[in-house]
Parts: sequence; C-alpha cells; structure tokens
Amino acid sequence: MRGKVLDLVLVLGGLVMIAPLVWLVVNALSEPIDAFQLPPRWIPRPPTLENFQQVPDLIPFAQMAWNSLQIAVITTAGALFTSALAAYAFNRLRFPGRDQIFSVLLAALVVPVQLTVVPIFIMMRWLHLVDTTVAIWLPALVNVFGIFFLRQYISSIPRELDEAAIMDGASHFWILFRVILPLSRPGLTALGIFVFEASWNNFFWPYIFLSSPEKMTLPVGLVSLQGAVGGGPAVVLFAAITLVVLPILVLFLIFQRSFIASIASTGLRG
Amino acid sequence: MVFVALPLIAAFGLSLFHWDLLGTPEFAGLDNFQQLVSDTATIRAVVNTFVFALASVVTHIGIGMLLALGVHRTMTRGTKYFVRTAFFFPFLVSWAAVALLWKYVLDPTFGLVAHYLSTTTNWLASPTWALPTLIVVDWWHTIGYTFIILLAGLQTVPAQLHEAARVDGANGWWRFWSVTLPVMSPTIFFATVITFIGAFQIFDPMVIMTQGGPDGATRSIVQYTYEKGFQSFEVGYAATLSLVLFVVIMLVTGLQFRLSRRWVHQ
Repeated sequence: MRGKVLDLVLVLGGLVMIAPLVWLVVNALSEPIDAFQLPPRWIPRPPTLENFQQVPDLIPFAQMAWNSLQIAVITTAGALFTSALAAYAFNRLRFPGRDQIFSVLLAALVVPVQLTVVPIFIMMRWLHLVDTTVAIWLPALVNVFGIFFLRQYISSIPRELDEAAIMDGASHFWILFRVILPLSRPGLTALGIFVFEASWNNFFWPYIFLSSPEKMTLPVGLVSLQGAVGGGPAVVLFAAITLVVLPILVLFLIFQRSFIASIASTGLRG
Repeated sequence: MVFVALPLIAAFGLSLFHWDLLGTPEFAGLDNFQQLVSDTATIRAVVNTFVFALASVVTHIGIGMLLALGVHRTMTRGTKYFVRTAFFFPFLVSWAAVALLWKYVLDPTFGLVAHYLSTTTNWLASPTWALPTLIVVDWWHTIGYTFIILLAGLQTVPAQLHEAARVDGANGWWRFWSVTLPVMSPTIFFATVITFIGAFQIFDPMVIMTQGGPDGATRSIVQYTYEKGFQSFEVGYAATLSLVLFVVIMLVTGLQFRLSRRWVHQ
C-alpha cells in the first residue's frame, strides 16, 4: 500500500517535470490560432508542421545546426584525443614534476571559464579569430576534466598488460592505442557523450564570441530568434526550440544506459 | 596551458589596468579594486549569486535525495524507468532552450504556471519573485543531474549493512541516519561541491530571461562581468570582477573541504 502511494507520487512528479516539454511540442505542432489556449491543450489537433517550415525564414537554422554539429564533433574528438594522451602520460610515464603538474591541473578544474574569457577574448581578437567557430572549439580541445577522468580510468587497467608490451619492444603510442584505449572504451564513450552534450548545449562561449547569424550555434541562434519574433508567432519559436531539443532527447532514449552511467560514474569519480 | 594558465595570469594583470579594448591599456594600480568595494551593483551581484548558490544547493541536495530514496525504494521497474527519464530529460535541454521555454511557461496571461496556480503574478518582472523564480527554473533544469549522482551513490550502499542494522532492531529512520547517510556522505559531499561551483557561475538564465532585472534583482557576478567586459568595455574592471568570482569559489570550496572532515565518512 505504502509502495503504491510512493509510486503514485513519483509518477505525478515525473509528469509535472515533463509537462513543460510536452506543452512545447504540442504548441509547436499547433496552428497559431489554436496555440497557447487555456486550459492548456495536451494533444495538438490537428497536428501541423507549418510552424517548422517557417523556422528557416527567421534564422538560418540549417547553417546553425551545421555549426553546432561541427563544433561539437571537433571538440569531442579533440578533447578525447588530448585527454587520452595526457591521461596516459600522467598515469604511466614517469617524468620530473609529474605529480606537481597534475595537482596544478586539478586546481584548474575549479577555475571558472569566466575568469579566462576576457583574456582569451583579447587573445582571439589578436589572432583575428573573433566571430569564427575556431574561437569556440580551439580552447575546448584541452579538457582538464577529461584528463582527470581518463587518468582515473586508465589507472584501473593492470600494468602487467603494458609491461608485457614493453618487453616486446612496443612504443608508448602503440601501447596507448593498441592496449590501453581499447580497454578504456566505456570510459571514452562516457567522456565523449559528456563532452558532446556540453558542447552542443553551450551558450556562454558562443554568445560572447559569435555575432554573425550564419556563424552562430543553435543555442545562440534560438536566443536571437526571440528578438526576431518579437510580438510575432511564438509558435515558430516553439518549433525551433523543439527542433533543437528533440534530437538530444531521442539520442538520450537510445543511449540511456551509457548516458546515465556516464553521469553517475563521472560524478562518483570526479 | 595556453588556455588555462596564461589567461589566469593575464586576468590578474588586466585587473591592474583601465582598458577599453581599443586604445592603449592604462596602468590603474588598485583603482579597479577600489571601484569594486564602492560599486553597489557589484555588491548586489555578489549577494544575488550567494543567495542563488545557497538556495540551489539546499534544494538540489534535499529534493534530489528524497527523489533518489523514492526511486531506489520503488519496486516497479516501469516507475523507476519513467521517473528517472522524466527527471533527467530537462538536464539534456540546453539552458538557452530552457530559458526561452520557461519565459512562456511563466507568462502571466497564457502560461502554465499562471493557469494551474491561478495567479497573474508576473514572476520575472517582480523584484521580489524574479530571483526565487530563477532558482526554481534552475532546479527544474539541473535536478536530474544531482538526482542521478545521488541515486548512483545510494546504489553503492551494501544491503548487508542494512540487514545487520535491521537485525539489531533499527527502524527505517534510524537505518537511514546510521547506515545510508554515512556511506553516502562522500557522494553527497561531491554533489554539494559541484552544485555550488556550478551555481556560482550561473549566467544563461539571467541573460536570456531577465537581463539581470528587474533593477539588478537577478544580476549574477558572471553576468555583471560580461556587461562590464563586453558591453561597456571596461576590460580591467571585468577582469577584477572575475577574480572576485575566483576568490569566492576558492574560499567556499576550501571551506567545504575543511568542514567535510567533520561529516564525510572516509
């Protein structure tokens, strides 16, 4: 009995949580005249894709999606690569000052990006990279959290494995790419998901560095659309938000297990 | 190094200058720091940020813990799956989308909140309610993350410990206090630190939903830094502000680690 009540409370809580998202999608699928009615409608009737067709009239949506995707892919690939190299060095190699450098790196984990944004902006301006996508992914190529996370992961791989490879005369690169990384696949996947999601959703950095609409990423583009809509059709804005939100929700439903595991493990290990 | 250490040093350096990004930087000594202490807007932003961070931590950990306990206890797999997914969904939505959507959810005439709570309060325009409202929106967006971390921690509590306590005659509450909480304390500690650090850096919802208003009621430190650095081009002062944020985070995190010795089980 008590269990039933608990279940009911939890499910109701869950429904309240997703209500705004359902409302979003229903309105995005509604004719402008049917949208935003009170009491709120939870089923669109009849569903229409009209609002979605109007999104490209207001913002270069496809271009923005492409920019977001490009930045997220480069950032993810780059961060995985540099994190793997650095994590391997910090765990398996011996060099003077290794542990000291690592603790400095750990301290950098709590340095807010906001502290570095003004100097980096000046640096980017000097390099003529302001208002280019390069300014977004270049500083993200080194991911301090990623180094830390992968180092923890690699340290759980038995050293006997690479010692055997060293006996056979293998180079460090060979060991890293043929022995360590294949065994770290779950860790790499978790980190990859994490970095991709963070980049795809990032607002702060692109907001500061990008100003031309055709260079913007989706989150910044959405916010600029808010201005463009003004008193106009909010349903089109809702359609645009839906287009941004839906892919990542679908991805989540597909990769639910590794997603949750990645959050849980990054949380517990960090 | 180029993107962490160098800018860090540069931020310290910049804080000693007046610069508008165009002309030549002008040495200012401690001018920026003096301005900081006398600038009421800064103090307001620091207070807002502290209120936001404290409230976030309390609600995230409190509600997250209740949720985790509830989901951990429930027997039906369907409920578990649904609740976990429903609470985690908003975390995957970018702040930009969340902030835009919630502006409509909170709309006093056709929003969901106005309808279901039958009020016409204009939450975001009210100097009293704007900040608490953002705290709720942040809660909606981020609770899934805290919840998942706490749930994962909860699942590491060995069942044998509970059994042993049960055999010793401990009731539900007592088992929670004497078994669950101590075993979970490192997880709770981690979640607290992470939530604090994240909350101190809050920026997106303020910029998108309230622009810091009404009348500075929701302006955060980072947002103020942004305004100074990239809107009124007082780069030196912006760097000084970002140092304030850095010091605040360092102090609070350090304090948390110090206090943690008293309650975190090693």
